[in-house]
Amino acid sequence: KKKFAHGTIRYSLHKQACASLNSGINLRGAVKLPEGEDLNDWIAVHVVDFFNRINLIYGTISDYCTEQTCPTMSGGPRFEYLWADGEKYKKPTPLPAKEYISNLMDWIEVQINNPALFPCTSDLPFPKNFEKLCSKILARLHRVFVHVYIHHFQNIVTIAAEAHVNTCYKHFYYFVTEFDLVSQKELEPLAVMASKICKDC
Amino acid sequence: MTATENTIRFSVHTLDKATKAKVTLENYYSNLIAQHVERKQRLAKLEESLKDDSLSEEQKHEKRLQHAQKETEFLRLKRSRLGVEDFEPLKVIGRGAFGEVRLVQKKDTGHVYAMKILRKADMLEKEQVAHVRAERDILVEADHQWVVKMYYSFQDPINLYLIMEFLPGGDMMTLLMKKDTLSEEFTQFYIAETALAIDSIHKLGFIHRDIKPDNLLLDAKGHLKLSDFGLCTVITSSPMDSKRRAESWKKNRRALAYSTVGTPDYIAPEVFLQTGYGPACDWWSLGVIMYEMLIGYPPFCSENPQDTYRKVMNWRETLVFPAEVPISEEAKDTIIKFCCEAERRLGSQKGIEDLKIIPFFRGVDWEHIRERPAAIPVEVRSIDDTSNFDDFPDVKLEIPSAPMPQDGEVNYKDWVFINYTFKRFEGLTQRGTPTKK
Ligand SMILES: Nc1ncnc2c1ncn2[C@@H]1O[C@H](COP(=O)(O)OP(=O)(O)OP(=O)(O)O)[C@@H](O)[C@H]1O
Repeated sequence: KKKFAHGTIRYSLHKQACASLNSGINLRGAVKLPEGEDLNDWIAVHVVDFFNRINLIYGTISDYCTEQTCPTMSGGPRFEYLWADGEKYKKPTPLPAKEYISNLMDWIEVQINNPALFPCTSDLPFPKNFEKLCSKILARLHRVFVHVYIHHFQNIVTIAAEAHVNTCYKHFYYFVTEFDLVSQKELEPLAVMASKICKDC
Repeated sequence: MTATENTIRFSVHTLDKATKAKVTLENYYSNLIAQHVERKQRLAKLEESLKDDSLSEEQKHEKRLQHAQKETEFLRLKRSRLGVEDFEPLKVIGRGAFGEVRLVQKKDTGHVYAMKILRKADMLEKEQVAHVRAERDILVEADHQWVVKMYYSFQDPINLYLIMEFLPGGDMMTLLMKKDTLSEEFTQFYIAETALAIDSIHKLGFIHRDIKPDNLLLDAKGHLKLSDFGLCTVITSSPMDSKRRAESWKKNRRALAYSTVGTPDYIAPEVFLQTGYGPACDWWSLGVIMYEMLIGYPPFCSENPQDTYRKVMNWRETLVFPAEVPISEEAKDTIIKFCCEAERRLGSQKGIEDLKIIPFFRGVDWEHIRERPAAIPVEVRSIDDTSNFDDFPDVKLEIPSAPMPQDGEVNYKDWVFINYTFKRFEGLTQRGTPTKK
């Protein structure tokens, strides 16, 4: 679903790129599995929370993300994501970023609202492939981060939300690396930035 | 529409969304810290309780397992998105300034609750936002036998919803309307219980300021609980939230100065003045209620709120006892001790201790009153029995649902209400067990 174009990533990250909320909070510690907690439940609650927050973040800049500004779903010149869902789009298809993200979010929403996949009462078990499903969801959510950071960071700065987005990214990064849920390959488009903002606590 | 108009509207909308998102994220992360700390504290508390040597290793292991299970259940609960559609409305049981109270049943568990609905637009209009926050705060904090327990809260674009424990005994106002007057014995019981309830919220650092018979509810056994902290004001500050609480306090003061808050019958004179008031104002209200129980109507009642207000302010002349309704000297004396200057008022010095030495309360078992039979046993035939409530035939049972906001349409400035979601940890995992702070 992913095509690598060649070229170099140029980060137009500002000084603000390192700003984050509540410097007091130890996010790296906060994502660790608490003693006695069920791993699936821990992952599930984070996936739902990340979905909600990333949805919110994209929502703030979605007015700036149009077919004209972003005709493809890309993360810089090197990465372009193609959409396939096995139903409407059987083959990986290039879509405008807005449409791609909207499909992606809809797809995730269906997953997390399905009680057979995300049981929310304690009498129901998680499905066997739960961790794999979550890896897929988180990888897709990461692409939204990639798009926001690389194409809309200026918009984020305009509304003075860089600290918010960074905090959220950091939290996400610590979580997926703690449990090894997203591959390095997926994380690569933001790897340089991550190494900058995720070095502290 | 011209191009400039378009850009302006566009950017206002975007900024609107941005502010909302930012506040949400800020809240999320400050709650995350709090939750992280609280979870650690819960575990520490458990380990502390396991230091008890009388427990075998096996029992300790069992307790740890149970604790972990409760935490997991809570995580699941956090993912469950509760909404109006999860509750079946059964009956309208009450009405207040900003909406109605319904008896509802949670569809999946069958549990019955009282659902209070507050209309956002009305509240914004009347500057009630801080009040609702205060209500949320006290309901969350007051995990307490004298306070109506709240289980969940949520919102949609139109309303805020509070899901509370249903008290089938009805409210004191309805009881007083049915009974005309109460005997001194019954009055002693209800006033003593109300006094304990008032004392308990004062100890938590809150002033109720709106104690009235409508806010005194009776549980299935006929014991009393306080509801409605809509107008609660904070008297002490916790280090964490002092700023917001100060805001809330100021807002309450202002809203109060500009609005008549419901009926003024029970409100202490100093509350109407700009000079400030303290917890003593709740003891005044108790005196007014005691008068009403014994005499049949509140002492300052009049044709209109203005006259009532004037009578309250002139209580030295207007607080009189009608000869036609004889009451004991002890009762009269007690009412006069509640309805007097704040500084010398009963309850204002040592709280509930002031009352314990008063002749009228002789014989009250202050420690165990809640465990003993109530003055008037409530008859409840089933968990959803509403025979102790009035009918509201003019109010539709269906909950007025929100029209989905059109895409791009700027809807209510919802971030004022963003903090408004709450799910009780204890309440859901070990239902019915009162917990101590
Ligand atoms: N938990 C509950 N269980 C049973 N009945 C309740 C409950 N809460 C409220 N009621 C009923 O609904 C009535 C109105 O509730 P309440 O006083 O909380 O409304 P309100 O909107 O806050 O009104 P106001 O602010 O004017 O006092 C009460 O007098 C009582 O009869």
